[in-house]
Amino acid sequence: MRNSMKIAKWEVKRNMKNKTFIVGLFLTPIIIVAFMFIGTLFGDDTEEPEQTMVFVNDQLDIFPILQEAINQSGYNWEMHVTDIEESEVNAELDGSENTAYIFIDDRALETSTVPVYMSEEINQFFINQVQILESPIKTMQMAELGISDEELAIVSSSIVFEDASMEETATEETAPSDAESSTESLERMIPGAFAGFIMISIVFTGMAIFQSASQEKKDKIAEIILSSVTPAELMQGKIIGYFVLGIIQTIVSIVIVLPVLAWRIDFPIMEYLFVPELALLIGIAILGYLLFASIFVGIGATMSDISTAGNFQGLVMMLPFLPFVFIGPVLSDPSGLWAQIGTYVPFTSPGVLLLRLTVLEEWPWVEIAISLAILIVSIWIFMKLAGKIFKVGILMYGKNATPGEIWKWIRA
Amino acid sequence: MEVMLTVEGLEKAFKDKQVLKRISFDVRKGEIMAILGPNGAGKSTTIRNIMGIMYPDAGSITFHHHNGKDIPRNKIGYLPEERGLYKNVKVMDILLYLAELKDYPLDKAKERALMYLKKFDLEGKEKVSIEELSKGMGQKVQFISSIIHEPELLILDEPFSGLDPVSQELFKEEIRNLANNGTAILLSSHQMNLVEEMCDRLFMIQRGQKVIYGTLDEVKTEYANFKCTIHGKNQINDLERIPQVLRVEHEDDRSILYLDKDVEPTSWLKNLPESIQIQELKINRISLHEIFIDIATDKNLIQEEGEVLA
Repeated sequence: MRNSMKIAKWEVKRNMKNKTFIVGLFLTPIIIVAFMFIGTLFGDDTEEPEQTMVFVNDQLDIFPILQEAINQSGYNWEMHVTDIEESEVNAELDGSENTAYIFIDDRALETSTVPVYMSEEINQFFINQVQILESPIKTMQMAELGISDEELAIVSSSIVFEDASMEETATEETAPSDAESSTESLERMIPGAFAGFIMISIVFTGMAIFQSASQEKKDKIAEIILSSVTPAELMQGKIIGYFVLGIIQTIVSIVIVLPVLAWRIDFPIMEYLFVPELALLIGIAILGYLLFASIFVGIGATMSDISTAGNFQGLVMMLPFLPFVFIGPVLSDPSGLWAQIGTYVPFTSPGVLLLRLTVLEEWPWVEIAISLAILIVSIWIFMKLAGKIFKVGILMYGKNATPGEIWKWIRA
Repeated sequence: MEVMLTVEGLEKAFKDKQVLKRISFDVRKGEIMAILGPNGAGKSTTIRNIMGIMYPDAGSITFHHHNGKDIPRNKIGYLPEERGLYKNVKVMDILLYLAELKDYPLDKAKERALMYLKKFDLEGKEKVSIEELSKGMGQKVQFISSIIHEPELLILDEPFSGLDPVSQELFKEEIRNLANNGTAILLSSHQMNLVEEMCDRLFMIQRGQKVIYGTLDEVKTEYANFKCTIHGKNQINDLERIPQVLRVEHEDDRSILYLDKDVEPTSWLKNLPESIQIQELKINRISLHEIFIDIATDKNLIQEEGEVLA
């Protein structure tokens, strides 16, 4: 174990002195932050569409009332009074954008129609928005017809269909708890997302083990190292070393991303982050790392060069991405068949488990226990297998091992 | 001399092919022991078995002065045949790392590293990245890494391969020095001239089997018989009739007569028949190189498996 720690220390030191690694270390969180900003940029776009110029040819002196209705609605209109003739409108609209002309005259009172002329480029919701002008015009129309104010109030009030059944009280009661559960789900989501982030971060950093093992073969230093330590120690050292590197990556990312997140999102993240559940979630993330790290280190030892990875090795590289397949089914039914399958398959269980625990209100403790047991047993098995593969593979120079050969080493 | 390492009845097979057959030898304190043999004879396999990088099918490897079953890795220095160093790492960093793996105190390692770098004309290169070194310089760093922790037993697999003559001399001298200071050295090579100049004992191996084992002097008296090279037009039959001639190699005007082990060169020369034409005559011992070539090419100069016990 002492030798493993020395190797781990060396791997950390070697990478921390490597410019490529350092650049990657800071680039990853910066890219995350950058994407967050790009996301909000697009978000702003849809929230605040461009201003619409609305010209009203007002024959009924209703403009101030219309103006007020629009102000209350919060639509981004800029309204002007105009005395342009209807026949000239088309010429006027030609070549202009986000512009509309509304003609309010006797036709509105007599036939209840208001001609609206729009430019070709205009907010797609404009024709819906313009409906808001209906009620002031309607009111005026009724006033013209000589209806008294009281009658007017009755006529213009809409009819409400009240739900008078027994459930009424029930819905009223659940309403506040709905709001409560939404904050609860956020509480759950934060530790889950945090643990998921840690897992992705350390697993991806761990993928470098792959390269580290094959690079050691390429540089032909493996045999020199193995004259001082056993293959098992070398392998453990690598797994621990890249775990530490992954944690460093996570910490750097959090230090950069979290302040930005806290600033952008008006929500007390910290309060919900450090809950007891986080320990289990991080535990799952670490188990996930150990599983993939042992696979990577074993497979890395079978390759002479990362660029010559065969189909088999390439397939293994894809294993950490397997949980992404389950995201859809699990989100749509977090306790469904797919979610359960994902929970029990060792390659997907860390990812699927994290996802489910984030979404589910009630944690399925039995399933968690079974899945953790499966995970721990598979880690143990894969560590053993990786050890066997690593021992032979790391000294095989110049060629990739075929699956057949690997199978032979495992059986040996 | 104290025995440091004993290899007894080592056997190893890859698939169905037996690559080592009952290999036995020992390495003693302060001596240079050479394992010789053509490519594929089993030299590196033997060494890898000693280092615990491979496991023998049968036989035992004993490290004396060491209790316990595992290999005393900290006391062994090893320079493998397939060797290299991390590319993007500084010379001093890698030397200290390898010393640390051997549990050697770091301050002492640093001192020794600087001393050896200076000795090998690499002074001031300790902060240079490995990838900037030439191949020869890299090999020197590898060599330093194998001796930085003052090993009791040093195992060198083809230490001279790829070195220029100047560096070869440097290595040779340093290896000799280490032996004189009491390090037990086991080296493998196929560069006979170098081995002949420096080794105390040798073990020659062919197809996984021992061919010769003994001290250099013993091997020379036993196998390095006299041979006589004659330039001149002669019939092969005439030459073969000369007493004490074992075998004749004949080519154009040149004949090489391999002589009996007990031959007395002076009296043998006196008894040469007058009928033989001699333009030029040369008499010398068969070199280790020739023994090696003969073994490698199965000429059976050595008729039977010889054994000289040291």
